[in-house]
Amino acid sequence: MTMICSGCESELASHLVCESCGALQVCEESPTPFASMGLEPSQAMDSGALKKRLVKLSRAMHPDFFGNSDAATQQLAIDNTAELNAAFEILASDMARADWLVRSLGGPDENSERQMPQSFLIEVMEWNELLEEARDSGSGSPEYESAQKLGVTLQAERAAIMQGIDAALTPLPEAGSPTLTDVRKQMNAVRYVDRALEQLAELAVQANH
Amino acid sequence: MAFIELNVLNNEPSPILGIDLGTTNSLVAMWKDGRPQILKPEGHDGHIPSAIYFPENAEQPIVGQAVRERALVDPTGTVFSIKRFMGRGLKDVAEELSSVQFPASENENGQIEFDIRGRMYTPQELSALILMRVHDIACKTQLAGLGRRIVITVPAYFDDAQRQATRDAARLAGLEVERIINEPTAASLAFGLDQMKSGTIAVYDLGGGTFDVSILAIDDGVFRVLATTGDTHLGGDDFDRALAKLAHDDLIDQVGEETAQDSAFQQALRLSAERTKIGLSGHLEAEYRIVIPESSIRYHREIKRSEFEELSKPLIERTLVSCRQALSDAGLEATDIDEVVLVGGSTRIPAVREAVEQFFGRKPHTELNPDEVVALGAAVQGHILSGGTRDILLMDVVSLSLGLETVGGGVDKVIVRNSPIPCQATETYTTNVDNQTGIKFTVIQGERELAGDCRTLGNFELKGIPPMPAGLPRVAVRFQVDANGMLSVTAKEQSTGQTARIEVKPMHGLTDEEVESMLKASYDFAQDDFDNRRAADLRVDIARMCRASRAHYEEAKPALDRETIEDIDEALKAGDEAASSNLPDELQKVRDEIERATLPLAAVLMDAVAKSAMAGKTLDEL
Repeated sequence: MTMICSGCESELASHLVCESCGALQVCEESPTPFASMGLEPSQAMDSGALKKRLVKLSRAMHPDFFGNSDAATQQLAIDNTAELNAAFEILASDMARADWLVRSLGGPDENSERQMPQSFLIEVMEWNELLEEARDSGSGSPEYESAQKLGVTLQAERAAIMQGIDAALTPLPEAGSPTLTDVRKQMNAVRYVDRALEQLAELAVQANH
Repeated sequence: MAFIELNVLNNEPSPILGIDLGTTNSLVAMWKDGRPQILKPEGHDGHIPSAIYFPENAEQPIVGQAVRERALVDPTGTVFSIKRFMGRGLKDVAEELSSVQFPASENENGQIEFDIRGRMYTPQELSALILMRVHDIACKTQLAGLGRRIVITVPAYFDDAQRQATRDAARLAGLEVERIINEPTAASLAFGLDQMKSGTIAVYDLGGGTFDVSILAIDDGVFRVLATTGDTHLGGDDFDRALAKLAHDDLIDQVGEETAQDSAFQQALRLSAERTKIGLSGHLEAEYRIVIPESSIRYHREIKRSEFEELSKPLIERTLVSCRQALSDAGLEATDIDEVVLVGGSTRIPAVREAVEQFFGRKPHTELNPDEVVALGAAVQGHILSGGTRDILLMDVVSLSLGLETVGGGVDKVIVRNSPIPCQATETYTTNVDNQTGIKFTVIQGERELAGDCRTLGNFELKGIPPMPAGLPRVAVRFQVDANGMLSVTAKEQSTGQTARIEVKPMHGLTDEEVESMLKASYDFAQDDFDNRRAADLRVDIARMCRASRAHYEEAKPALDRETIEDIDEALKAGDEAASSNLPDELQKVRDEIERATLPLAAVLMDAVAKSAMAGKTLDEL
């Protein structure tokens, strides 16, 4: 869908602001995160390029630069920058990006496909046990060391599953494709890994070094 | 207004001041000659103590440098560390109430109020008195009128209620808040502008009463906060308190429980502890001495730096937990940090510096004055907001998660911490019971799992939902956080096309009407008698200074040299003569002259007893 600037009528990349004339655009409905950022929908993402887009668009629409404008324009700058920031948060995270793509293609949401193979669930229980022991024993203990090692394993496991997800979403499948169901299953597995990694991070923060 | 318009026509943006309203000191800065500068009147270092002295006979309160000396003569009349009470309820600050010697209660808005000499003051009103003084001082340094637009700083970890309270204080002082910015972020602006083109920095900000740590990516003028965290109950005051406890434990048998509870006693302990702490930053050993002539208490003890470090250890460790949290939130390791910036007077403590250096594995920057860097950064932001530059852009984050309380007392997070601001998010809720026509919401801020452990910002109820079976109504609750890090919440019932809308009024905030009526009630604001008021204030101030100086002058004379005595006599004589003057500028000079001339006297009075106790020692030993 091509959008035209309400001011200078040139074609918009980001639906939020015209990068030719600088006019803030009034959006009736929230643009998609990709449209906010002016990017084509895709699971593959160059994080450096994404940050550059964020900065470039922020420079064009951040409320700090509209301090001397009328109230309506100031509000528009706040609203559109909020949209831009929300888009960045989604696009910067591999999981949030995949989640958005799967849902936009009519795939199952995060509450579906939660059935995990029993072997995986046993694995998860083992992680939790290890984490609990590490928490009880404190830093420097052998249990804590094992938990650190678990972190490395989990990172590798996560990378492997994510690779599968990225591949399944590249190029983007047809809307309603059964691939989406498969992707959602794998994403739900990643959520277990992420939860364990989060707990590990918390452990590291609290540890008395 | 005419002033602003005129400037727009001239294409010259009107200046916006940057104000650091600190726990201990406040500073004001502005962009001048291509860089941010602290505004300092002649002979004044620009550090304005955030303390207010209330004379016993209900005269006008005194704010500013004169307060420190008053505090020694009449400790019970002085209010310190007001920032700790901003936007707080009584139960939040039980431990800290000892810094204010007046009875505290809670009003119907859940705000703390102090009964000071028969008048009730909220922390906002007290802070407003300080801000008025800060603005006065700023005006004194400038030839042209400055206007009343400001950027004011708050600790990054201040919640919505504390930000509200800060904004209300500024409004009560007659100032227009163009932006509230986070202190560590402000510091990074001043630092980055001065020292750095691009890279990742950590700002470690240990102030008088609060601690913040922020991680930022700086890239060619863009300052992007990656993570921020902190503790609004941790600062230099806590280091003082740790030392004061030492003296308290030594003295308790001698003075008894009753005296130990006495506010004058506690204040004396606190002030001496602070002096000892500062002494220990420069020396390996310092005197800890307390002299209270009225209760003939004379306490003296040597404190080694290592002893103090032992006491500080748990406090410093708490800051390091926050540092680890910030790094973890930013997805970084300590080794990823290119530069470390120290902010806040408490970072002068050697043990703090060492701990930070060890933690990040590099020497922290100290080129910029840690007391001034926040105000300087606020001035940079003021410069941006007034349209002065588009080269610099600050992208900050929400420091505490925002959400709604669930039926079970949990928290449904709507906006998670470290989300970039401004931001917005919408959650949809529905009814539990058939024909339910209203839903109650409680807005929560904080990271804990249970709503009861977090901060409740406000309650609201969406009424007028048409009767429908449970689960059918669709209520969209929208959270928006603006560039000040402040929240507004609206709710809409969507299923029937009928919409209702509510604005949440935060529990600790003031409505526009309340601010207006408080402004009207306060005669301080009448513009036309501004000069008269200032003159009256100064006369009162001068008379009191003369009185206080003469109280112990004769005893102190032997310790003063002749030149100093002549200097003091002359200043006091000018003070007596000033009683009939109505010219504020002339009075100001007289006042400042007395302040300057009597400094040696104050020093002698403070040290007199202690010195006699140590007679026979050489200067080096002291």
